[in-house]
Amino acid sequence: MLQMTDVKKVFRTDLIETHALRDFSLQVDEGDFVAVTGPSGSGKTTFLNIAGLLETFSDGTYELDGVNVSQLNDKQRSRMRNEKIGFIFQGFNLIPDLDLFDNVDVPLRYRGFNAKERRKRIEQSLDLVGLANRMKHLPAQLSGGQQQRVAIARALAGEPRFLLADEPTGNLDSTMAASVMALLQDINARGTTIVMVTHDQVLANQAKRNIFVRDGQVSELSTGAAFPNAAIA
Amino acid sequence: MLEIGPIFRSLMRNKTGALLIAIQIAITMTIVVNAVFIVYERSQKMQRESGIDEANSFYLSSSGFGSNFNAKVTITEDLAALRQLPGVIDAVQINAIPISGGGWSMGLKTQAGVEYDGVGVAVYMVDEHGVNALDLDVIAGENFTATDVRWREPAQSDWPNDVIITKAMAEALFPDEHYSKTVGKTVYINDTEPMVIKGIVDKLQAPWVGWSRVENAMLSPEHLNNDATRYFVRTEAGQRDAVMQQVETFLAERHTGRIIRGLNTIEETRARSYRGDSAMIKILTTVMIVLTVVTALGIVGLASFSVNSRRKQIGTRRALGASKGAVLRYFMMENFIITTVGVLVGAALTIGLNIVLVEQFDLTPITWYYIPVGMLILWLVGQLAVFGPASRAAGIPPAIATRTV
Repeated sequence: MLQMTDVKKVFRTDLIETHALRDFSLQVDEGDFVAVTGPSGSGKTTFLNIAGLLETFSDGTYELDGVNVSQLNDKQRSRMRNEKIGFIFQGFNLIPDLDLFDNVDVPLRYRGFNAKERRKRIEQSLDLVGLANRMKHLPAQLSGGQQQRVAIARALAGEPRFLLADEPTGNLDSTMAASVMALLQDINARGTTIVMVTHDQVLANQAKRNIFVRDGQVSELSTGAAFPNAAIA
Repeated sequence: MLEIGPIFRSLMRNKTGALLIAIQIAITMTIVVNAVFIVYERSQKMQRESGIDEANSFYLSSSGFGSNFNAKVTITEDLAALRQLPGVIDAVQINAIPISGGGWSMGLKTQAGVEYDGVGVAVYMVDEHGVNALDLDVIAGENFTATDVRWREPAQSDWPNDVIITKAMAEALFPDEHYSKTVGKTVYINDTEPMVIKGIVDKLQAPWVGWSRVENAMLSPEHLNNDATRYFVRTEAGQRDAVMQQVETFLAERHTGRIIRGLNTIEETRARSYRGDSAMIKILTTVMIVLTVVTALGIVGLASFSVNSRRKQIGTRRALGASKGAVLRYFMMENFIITTVGVLVGAALTIGLNIVLVEQFDLTPITWYYIPVGMLILWLVGQLAVFGPASRAAGIPPAIATRTV
């Protein structure tokens, strides 16, 4: 599903060079649920951005679903993000002026689905996260946990094969965090590959695999507690 | 895919800024479209031909004084001498100058009697050289002959037997007949005095450029026996300025008992007569440009603010699959919707203002296509104004979506 080999990412200014990723190699298989942990500044978010095609990398190779992404132009990368990747952000990143229906609709419109197909998918995905009856509400009218559920619904509506979650419970209390985590596990159980960046080791342990990142490199791989039989690449 | 619905709903939830810009666009359209129409009308008015050879003509006044001054002799000799001057095509004594602002008007009727309405007409008193000096085209009938021309004494109020009128005047007097068929017909001046139409000239404007019947003019075959008189001189092409310099001295030296003054070209006279219109065009054009620029800057300001305050949102859209083109289209479409509201309200206000202008200032009702053209231009201005901020929005990287600060 995801194969990174010796990926490097260097941020350059006139004065300094920062090596955010150094020879970063990782393989994530279809149906995997990988938690990425590490201290602040270790390169977790850079990895997530590169994995999600939000950023380019300086060197190495990255294949997503068999496609060498370094060959893609901006438009092709946008299309690939839209079709293959679902994003869940720490701050939910819902559009405050749009109701839940329109928020979930955003990636579907870029996909070019017709109105009937979009409606069906929006209703299904909001139903999956238990918010089908609040489609006309604005994000501000929901709790944090509910907003994150909308963000998950938005990520799932396009039926991506790969879900990237950036601290999905970072802004939630423990009860809501547990509920979101349960939802992610449920989604993973349905076959969607998930890579989750988190600070929370308890949460990370619920994934099938744990990856610890330090100084821009994968320093440790382990199986998560919830999925003891998961294979390590 | 165009996001008209979500953009519209989003705007409805945050209407203040967009509404202010829409109002600004509406006001701009109202003022600009009406102003463009007024400017067009004024410039059309300024471009009307007077019918005379403006580029090569000039006029001057001669005011005799003293008991020895004989107007008849002086005028006759002056005209004969002027017509002999090198570079002069013809010269004529005339009571008023076309498009100069000052003249003499009468009414002509097709039936004698005070009970009948007359048609207003500007009167030019000239001899048989008048047609040539003014460079008029006789398109029906014929010019005066020397025997048609009489001397009008200062207190004399009757009129000669013959008259030459403009085609427009002929059509105003006899609307059901072709102008050429009006030659030989009798018209009445001073209610009951008959004059026979001897000829029709194609075009000769009255002295008053703002007069609604400015094309109505007549030539009356007569010299004016006045100490103060005016000569109209037409020169060969390119000779006007040289002849003007000579004529003043030439006439002053021919008779010392008079003053030569008021030497003016017709081009100067036209500029003076249309000075108000010209100033109006300049002022309105400046207002239009300023308003349009201010509106465009307002659109740029709103769009820039919108982009800056939605950077994270834009990054999120990019992360969710929006291409740069899709982000560009989003902001262009948002502006298009705002501008559409503005121009629709503006179209209604434009018609409203025009109705007020027509009623209060007797302007012409606006031609219908000015409104769609105005809408189109403002749409274009809006799209051009928003293109910069929209391009900046399209350049926001998708990685912004994962930044927490």
